Amino acid sequence: MAETQTKQPILEMQHISKRFDATQALEDVSLTLYPGEVHALIGENGAGKSTLIKIMTGVHRPDTGTILLDGQPTHINNSQEAQTLGIAAIYQEPMIFPDLNVAENIFISHRSRGMVVNWGRLFKDAEAILAQLDVKLDVRMPARGLTLAAQQAVEIGKAISLKVRVLIMDEPTASLSAHEVDQLFRLVNTLRSQGVAILFIGHRMEEVFRIADRITVLRDGKYISSRPKAEVKRDQVIREMVGRDAGDFFAKSEVPRGDLLMSVRGLGKEGAFTDVSFDVYQGEVLGFAGLIGARRTDVGLALFGIEPADTGEITFEGKPVAIKAPDHALKLGIAYVTEDRRGLGLVMPMSITTNISLPTLRRYLSALGLVRRPEEQRTAESFREQLMIRTPSVALDVGKLSGGNQQKVMLSKWLNARPKLLILDEPTRGIDVRAKAEVHHIINDLAAEGLGIILISSDLPEVLAMSDRVLVMREGRQMGIFDRKDATQERVMTAAMGQQEHQEPTGAVQG
Amino acid sequence: MNTIRRRFQPEQIRELVLIALIIGILIFFGTQIDNYFSPRTFTRISTSVAVIAVVAVGQTLVILTRNIDLSVGSIVGFTAYIVGTILSINNDIPPVAVVLMAVAMGAVMGSINGLLVAYGRVPAIIVTLGTLAIFRTVLVEISGANSVLTNELPRWLVNLPPVNAFTLGPLDIRLLFFLAVVVVIIFQLVVSYLPWGRRLYAIGSNPDAARVAGFPAQRIIFTAFVLSGALAGLGGFMFLARFGNITVVAGQGIELQSVAAAVVGGVNINGGLGSPFGAFLGAILIDVLDNSLIRWLAISEFWRDALLGLLILLAVATDTVIMNRLRKVWARHELQVSGDGEPPAEKGGAGYAA
Repeated sequence: MAETQTKQPILEMQHISKRFDATQALEDVSLTLYPGEVHALIGENGAGKSTLIKIMTGVHRPDTGTILLDGQPTHINNSQEAQTLGIAAIYQEPMIFPDLNVAENIFISHRSRGMVVNWGRLFKDAEAILAQLDVKLDVRMPARGLTLAAQQAVEIGKAISLKVRVLIMDEPTASLSAHEVDQLFRLVNTLRSQGVAILFIGHRMEEVFRIADRITVLRDGKYISSRPKAEVKRDQVIREMVGRDAGDFFAKSEVPRGDLLMSVRGLGKEGAFTDVSFDVYQGEVLGFAGLIGARRTDVGLALFGIEPADTGEITFEGKPVAIKAPDHALKLGIAYVTEDRRGLGLVMPMSITTNISLPTLRRYLSALGLVRRPEEQRTAESFREQLMIRTPSVALDVGKLSGGNQQKVMLSKWLNARPKLLILDEPTRGIDVRAKAEVHHIINDLAAEGLGIILISSDLPEVLAMSDRVLVMREGRQMGIFDRKDATQERVMTAAMGQQEHQEPTGAVQG
Repeated sequence: MNTIRRRFQPEQIRELVLIALIIGILIFFGTQIDNYFSPRTFTRISTSVAVIAVVAVGQTLVILTRNIDLSVGSIVGFTAYIVGTILSINNDIPPVAVVLMAVAMGAVMGSINGLLVAYGRVPAIIVTLGTLAIFRTVLVEISGANSVLTNELPRWLVNLPPVNAFTLGPLDIRLLFFLAVVVVIIFQLVVSYLPWGRRLYAIGSNPDAARVAGFPAQRIIFTAFVLSGALAGLGGFMFLARFGNITVVAGQGIELQSVAAAVVGGVNINGGLGSPFGAFLGAILIDVLDNSLIRWLAISEFWRDALLGLLILLAVATDTVIMNRLRKVWARHELQVSGDGEPPAEKGGAGYAA
């Protein structure tokens, strides 16, 4: 790679900080992008990557810090301004207009193409741009039929037509096949040779090391390191990504493992995950770790019958079962607490009481088939006390509670179904420290009572502290199950990023 | 094969199917009704289709952006009544000023819808359902339940409907019908050739992407509502000319007829697909059916509405089922990137994957 230090940087982010309410999303982060260089930005979930690119594209403004474009201080107030400055972003899900043809999609944002659309010239110009990328695509076809990779090519074409100088690619390879990744990387190489600065965000180590010239690591919103690829090794990068302090976590207390509760063999679902096998025992917390896109939630949805699996066997309490619908799962004694509180979890404008009794309403019916309201209320009151739900009244709308208390209402709702196996999907996401500790406490108590618990969490220290065993997934595949004593942050993260342990960097890295 | 596929997109096939359907219906009723193929049938249908066609074109602009304008029925009635009242007080206003007045009145009412939908971010169905009722109520208040009467209107207006623009062999092309055709052609060109028109499709196609694509999506939606109102105002003028006697319930039901015309004509209710020309064909299809069923004695009057309803359901069903299938035939095209060092794609984009 050319000596980048002699070049004038295009974009410099200097000492950027950004806070959202209680969360410090970015703290004194700096990043420098040079022309003709692919700069990889990596970090765990929640490391601050998204916030940083949102600041670069004008979606958010930094609280403190400066942005320099060609050495000049700049303010980016909205996405249109970012576009004018030559900063564009493409995402995992391309922003395509399916009903317009390819050429229109490339030029949709142009304002200076005249009063009337000259279709002939539009098609010709679009072809010229795609030719510049060595891409073959019929520009007259509607974008609807394009594969994901082709849509990204169109978006890159759009960026080029807008004279892009800084292209941000946010996990562009997440849903691409290996062949498509090769194609995309060829496009990236073309852009690089044309002097575009590329910020590449990715979760797959081998891809990062294949494409990047320089690697920057973020952790917990803080800048950790930034070095040319030749100077770093993969395990070193992984060590820098993790290494978070697990001190403020409630560690799971030792509970003697009970009988085998559920055993899953070769579970799979087309397009989501394959060959997942594990056992859960009474009184055990089985953690599910992995990066976003690891498809852990899909396993949870399959076990609860919302999106049933299509291959594999499940044995529950010694009997083979087929779980095809949620009421099926409930009857067996499986409950699933969703990560999507707003969408799937709670009915926000309804009271705490009615939310809790919703899945078990049949229990509250009188002889006439009417709901016995006092009974319902007694249940809600008992959970309020048990789980320390902070509210003036159980008649309050759930929507008015804080995130942590909503989480507890959701827990109550499913605990009221008296499950034997509880699947918790991101139970502490977006709730404050105190509520988090309380939820951890509850999980601990439930396990002590003999419940089997599956804990899906993107918070690595949490999942390690709370679990007896940790199952690691990566892109729909099970990468391994670690016992508590073997589950270090490095090992779990290495598995989650698809790296073999003790593997020396391959020759390609040196290239 | 590829050239053929490129020339005929599923949407164009859809319009050809509509034309075939209209011809088929005409042939069917030709065998059923005596003296069906007469110039009078053409005159009758073309006269009644004119008002709906103009309103449906405006409706199409709005539906393309994934919105809906249910207030057009009240706008037609309002402008027809108010313009009629003004004319009966002063018979000497020049015709061009009368038309402009009707259009402006509709545009103002449309801009209220547009403001609330585009800038107030209130769902269009709620806004226009509200203004549908409000415009009508205001009209009832203003009118004191009086009617506009034909004999109070200026002669040129009363005599307008039978005026021919020109004749085509034995067929009389009425001026009002000709006006509707001109409107259809103008807006067909607008949606095909103006950036503004193309962006209507973009907004309806992917509203989220439209917000960050760097063009003024809100203003475009606003303008679509203003134009829908303006065209409904023009429709109000045509309504006044056609009927002469205008009561406070004038134009009721046009909102649904215009939506029906657009949907039958292949305008996707979720936006992004369809054209003014398609809506025009939809309006003709509905009107041909309606007019013919009245004269067809084999079917009772009560079944007429049911048949029309069936037609609309059929149109929506074909839209989702058949069009989705057709689109699959229009094979997915995959990306082809020539390798490093290879010569760039030849000019003219000759290569595209099947």
